[in-house]
Amino acid sequence: MAKQSETIDLKHYDVVVKPIITEKSTLVGEHNQLVFEVAKTASKPEIKAAIEALFSVKVTAVNTLIQKGKSKTWRGKPYRRNDVKKAIVTLADGQSIDVTTGI
Amino acid sequence: MSVTETLNEGLKRGYSLEIAAAAIADKVEAAIAQVAPQVKMPGFRPGKVPSNLIRKMHGEALRREALQEAINDAVNKLLSENGLRPATQPQIDIDGGLGEGEDLKISVSLEVLPDVPDADLDGITLERLTVEAGDADIESALERLAAQQKSFEDAPAKHKAKDGDLVVMDYVGTSDGVAFEGGTGEGMEIELGSGRLIPGFEDGLKGVKTGDKTTVKVTFPADYPAENLAGKDAEFAVTVTAVKTASTPVVDDSMATNLGLESLDQLKAILKDQVESELNGLTRTYLKRKLLDHLAASHSFEVPPSMVDAEFQQIWQQVEAEATDEDKAQMEAERGDYGRIAERRVRLGLLLSDIGQKNGVQVTQAEMNRLVAQEAARYRGQEREVQKYFAENAVAAAQLRAPLFEEKVVDFLLGKATITDRAVSRAELEAAIESEDETPLGAGVPHGAPGHVHGPDCNHDHDHKPAKKPAAKKAVKAEAEAEVVAEDAKPAKKPAAKKSAEPKAEGEAAPKKAAPKKKAAAE
Repeated sequence: MAKQSETIDLKHYDVVVKPIITEKSTLVGEHNQLVFEVAKTASKPEIKAAIEALFSVKVTAVNTLIQKGKSKTWRGKPYRRNDVKKAIVTLADGQSIDVTTGI
Repeated sequence: MSVTETLNEGLKRGYSLEIAAAAIADKVEAAIAQVAPQVKMPGFRPGKVPSNLIRKMHGEALRREALQEAINDAVNKLLSENGLRPATQPQIDIDGGLGEGEDLKISVSLEVLPDVPDADLDGITLERLTVEAGDADIESALERLAAQQKSFEDAPAKHKAKDGDLVVMDYVGTSDGVAFEGGTGEGMEIELGSGRLIPGFEDGLKGVKTGDKTTVKVTFPADYPAENLAGKDAEFAVTVTAVKTASTPVVDDSMATNLGLESLDQLKAILKDQVESELNGLTRTYLKRKLLDHLAASHSFEVPPSMVDAEFQQIWQQVEAEATDEDKAQMEAERGDYGRIAERRVRLGLLLSDIGQKNGVQVTQAEMNRLVAQEAARYRGQEREVQKYFAENAVAAAQLRAPLFEEKVVDFLLGKATITDRAVSRAELEAAIESEDETPLGAGVPHGAPGHVHGPDCNHDHDHKPAKKPAAKKAVKAEAEAEVVAEDAKPAKKPAAKKSAEPKAEGEAAPKKAAPKKKAAAE
C-alpha cells in the first residue's frame, strides 16, 4: 500500500511508531478517526505529513496527547515508565486505512 | 447444493456436488458469531472484540472448519435423501472452489451396503454331532497331567546316564585352546535327548556317571548365532556332579492331593468337566459351521468389494506372517481361495447382522459390562484403564461386542432350526470338522488329497458338498435318530457362553486355524 511511490521520506517511518488497536480506538474509528503511537518529538504537521505519505490518504485533523508513564517500584526502588505520545488522526470523508495489515 | 450422479454400477455410487459460496459464507459468519464471546485479545475486554478483527485473526481456520462442515453436511444430506447406506466411509475428493467466494465442487464416491434379502429362517435342518466323554479320554488326560508332574531323583552312583536322564554338570569350553565367552558354567542341568544343546554335546554325555570327568568334542553348527564360533571345533571339559533319573508320579490319590485337591475322584471329575466342555466346543463349532454353510448356500447377494478387500488383506497378512519361505509360492497359488474366503465371510457377516437386527437380537449393557470386565481382568493392575478405554473408544467396544453378537444370532438361528442329535466318537467329530465337505475319509481317498483342507471355522464352502451326505448317513444307521426342538438346543448354548468368555476365540481364531491346515495340505 504505502510504497507505490519511491519518494516516501524515510523520516516518516520514524514518526509513526504503530497503530493502537484497542476497544477505545475502534470506538473512535466510527468517526473516521484512527489512533497511532507516534514519536515523542513529532509535531502535528509532521504526523499529518507522515500519515498522508505512508497510507496515501488525506488527513483533515490531528490531535495529540502525551500519556505519562506510570510510576512503579522495583525492588523498593521507584522508577517511571516511558511516556507515550498518541495521535488521533481524522481522515477525510470516504477514506480509510486498514491498520491491522501493517505497512 | 446441486447433486449430479456420475456413477451407478453395482454397489458403487459416484456423485458430484456443488455447494454455493453463499452457503459457506453463512457458515463462516455463524462460526464467528459463535466464537466471538470467547475470543481474548489484548486491548479488548473478553468477548468485546469486533467481528472484523476476529475474521482477520482466525478467519482462515474458521473457514476451513466451515468448509469441512459444509462437506459433511452435504454428504450426509446426500446419503439420507437418496437412502444410501454406505458400506465404508465415503471417499470425498475436492475438485476445486476452495477460494473465497467460489462455489465448492466435490466428488463423492462410495459403496453402498447391499439389500440383504430376508433370510429364510424356517426349515433349517441341522445335525448335531455329540460325543460322550468316555473313561478313556479322562484316563489319557490324567496321564498327560502326570507326565507334566515329572520329577527327577538322584540316581545311584553307578547309574550311567541315558536318554531322558538329567545330568548336572560344571563345564569349561575351549575353542583352539582358548576359552570363549559363555563357554563356562556351573551346575547346569540338561535333560539328555531334549536337543537343547549343540548337536553332539548330549551324545557325548551319554553313559557318564556321577563324579565323572570327561571331555566332549563338538563342532558348532555353521548357522550358530554367535558368528565367531559358527562352524568351529570346540572342546568342553565336563565334570558331572550328579545324574538324575526321571520318575513319573503314579496316578493315585496322592497325586491329586499334591495338586491341592481332595481325592483322585475329584481330580477325575474336574478333568471330566474339562473334556466335556472341550467336546461341547467341538460340537458347537461343527453345528455353527453347518449353519453358516447353509446360510451361505441359500443366500447369494452382491457384497461391497471394498469390504471384501479389507477382509482379504487381513487374512492375507495373517497368513503371510505365519508362512515360511517355502510356503510363499503355495500361498500365491491359493490367493484366489483366500479371496473367496474373504467374500464369504463378508457376506455371512452382513447376513448375520441383518438377521440379528430384523429379529431384535441385542447385546445388553449388562453383557457388555461383563465382557469389558473379562477383558480388563486380562490386564492385571490396569483394570480401570482398560474399562475407561472401552468406555471411551466406540470402535474398540464394537470389536468386543461383535463376537458376542454373532454368537447370539447363531443361538437365535439354532433355536429356530430343527436339530437332529447323533452320537459319534470324538475322532469322527474331529474328522468331520477337519474334512468339512470333502470326500469322506472312509471312501479311500487320501486325506487332504483334493488340494484344500478346511480348518475349523475356515468359513468357506466348496462345491463338493453333496459328497458329505452319504457319509453322514452311513454313520447314522446304527443310531436312533431323535428329533430335537428349540428347548433341547440349550446344551449347545453352554459352550457359547464359554466362548464369549474369550472374545477372540471364535472370529479371530478362524484364519489362524485355517492356515496350518492349508500347510498340511500343501505337504
